Amino acid sequence: MPSRNRVAYAFLAPYLLIFATFWVWPIISSFLLSFQNTRVNPWRFQPSLNWGRLVADPAFYNALYNTLIILVIQVPVMIALATVMAVLLNSPLLKARPLYRFAFFAPVVVGEVAYAAVFRLMFSADFGIINKLITSIGFAPVSWFDNATAAMILIIIAVTWRWAGYNAIIILAGLQSIPGDVYEAATLDRVSKRQQFLHITLPLLKPIILFCAVLSVIGTMQLFTEPFLITNRGGPGGGTETLGLLLYRQGFTSLNFGYASAIAYTIAALAIAISLLNLWVAREPK
Amino acid sequence: MAGLSLKNVTKRYGMLEVIHGANLEIADGEFVVFVGPSGCGKSTLLRMIAGLEDIVEGEIRIGGKVVNDAEPSDRGIAMVFQSYALYPHMTVGENLSFGLRMNGNPRVDTERRVRRAAEILQINELMQRRPKQLSGGQRQRVAIGRAIVREPQVFLFDEPLSNLDAELRVQMRVEISRLHKQLGTTMVYVTHDQTEAMTLADKIVVLRAGKIEQVGAPLDLYDDPANRFVAGFVGSPKMNFLETKVTSSDATGVSVSLDCEPAVRLSLPVKTPIAEGTAVTLGVRPEHFLTAGSGDADLTVHVDVAEHLGNTSYVHASTAGGEQLIIERPESRTVANRDQLTVALSARRTFLFDSQGNRLR
Repeated sequence: MPSRNRVAYAFLAPYLLIFATFWVWPIISSFLLSFQNTRVNPWRFQPSLNWGRLVADPAFYNALYNTLIILVIQVPVMIALATVMAVLLNSPLLKARPLYRFAFFAPVVVGEVAYAAVFRLMFSADFGIINKLITSIGFAPVSWFDNATAAMILIIIAVTWRWAGYNAIIILAGLQSIPGDVYEAATLDRVSKRQQFLHITLPLLKPIILFCAVLSVIGTMQLFTEPFLITNRGGPGGGTETLGLLLYRQGFTSLNFGYASAIAYTIAALAIAISLLNLWVAREPK
Repeated sequence: MAGLSLKNVTKRYGMLEVIHGANLEIADGEFVVFVGPSGCGKSTLLRMIAGLEDIVEGEIRIGGKVVNDAEPSDRGIAMVFQSYALYPHMTVGENLSFGLRMNGNPRVDTERRVRRAAEILQINELMQRRPKQLSGGQRQRVAIGRAIVREPQVFLFDEPLSNLDAELRVQMRVEISRLHKQLGTTMVYVTHDQTEAMTLADKIVVLRAGKIEQVGAPLDLYDDPANRFVAGFVGSPKMNFLETKVTSSDATGVSVSLDCEPAVRLSLPVKTPIAEGTAVTLGVRPEHFLTAGSGDADLTVHVDVAEHLGNTSYVHASTAGGEQLIIERPESRTVANRDQLTVALSARRTFLFDSQGNRLR
């Protein structure tokens, strides 16, 4: 190796060492951990234990089902909402645009515990403002924390509230990169605003929307905060337990790190698979 | 096909007036070029004709119909943008047919129009490509093709060649000229390049700061500019302006003297009576200097830089009074930097302007 390169690597070494210790090694270590029986002392190599349990565990399937339900409903709804919000934010008719932009982005900045507390108050069965509104228009109050379906809807609403604005800002950046004269050309071509949105805006936003979708898929696969803090650790009765929560329960409540590692790897594999599927479905035609 | 008429057309952004009551008649089939420096309002005026900018006052008629409040798509115009404004995710074919398809135009007719445009512009081979796979010139052709398929009454071009390199610009200029002859449709073309204006136009409209300075055929503007601005804008290299004073004036003309060594006195056939001692500006085009002794007065200058292009030479020179000049002399191939050069002025080929820049005739 030329001495110049050796010097360069010497300078890089501290970073590479930290990277290898705290990034690469945990990935390898947790993968190895998933093949260990961590409920005995000392831990024993027992490959079929955790992975065998995973494929047969009803709690895992429940968490997987909940996570996928949230993913299938929440991600498309949020992305659609974010796109509409971005288009509205981009409208020249909108006054005080920076204010709205900040308002939509603000939920991401709010602390998770604070936002969870506010949601718990708002959706409280007895004195929450949401039930007050529902009853004021003549419907029966909803037991947001005791009914599994309602709790799931609450999680979807909360996650959407928190992340729609964030995605809208990303999509807005994409919208602003579409040159205005393309729309002027379309206007001269007698193409209506609706047609312009469907045939120009959406196709040109596709890579950005896809980027948001992939980020959201990864985020949802790891969903933890909302079911943990808002719906009482995945309640009622595991009705909102997600894979992230199951991982936490196994790892940090039951201290079964081997099984938690197997779940972690499953989450990562699913996130990669769904994201790749996303990219493949939306690929550019040759 | 249709003519176009602007009557007292005005544009204001808040308090700022950017087009000051423009009046213009464009005949059916005419090729009119709006030319002027950056920010003179030529693109704004074009966009007002297109309907992309509102009109504050005045009236725009296309084919005899007032179109002030008509939607851009209802004005019978098609526009070619400076940036081409092609739909980046569509193929060339889709770009051409998009507007027609969205409006439910019969498929057979759409195909016919697209085929015709592709043939006129020779882009048949490119139909399956996307804009990013095309060169600048090809993109410009597609943009023009998209205008052709609309079969408009008036074509509007907004600096369509400014993103192309010099060679391609010349080639596309010729093609646009050919297209105009082939289609015979009224065309309004915006450019800041006076060469494009001179070569393409039937009629040039020179704008400055939102005002129409002069309207006329290219050579009329060259031979008979209305003011100093037009005189300086039309012609390349631009006209030289020398500050002079009137030494005498009578019914046959005025005499002016230039601050030169030796002093230069020139009698000009200007009929306007001008008081003795009035400061006036003498305009001489670089190509209108003559060989010493063959004109009405000789002028000796100090050569700063001589540029020899082969077919001609441009001599950047200064007078004894310190005024800068450009002299075009095809026969001065041997002139070198720091030489003295004597050339002649012809009274017939000079222009006189007052201190406001108005032409004195």
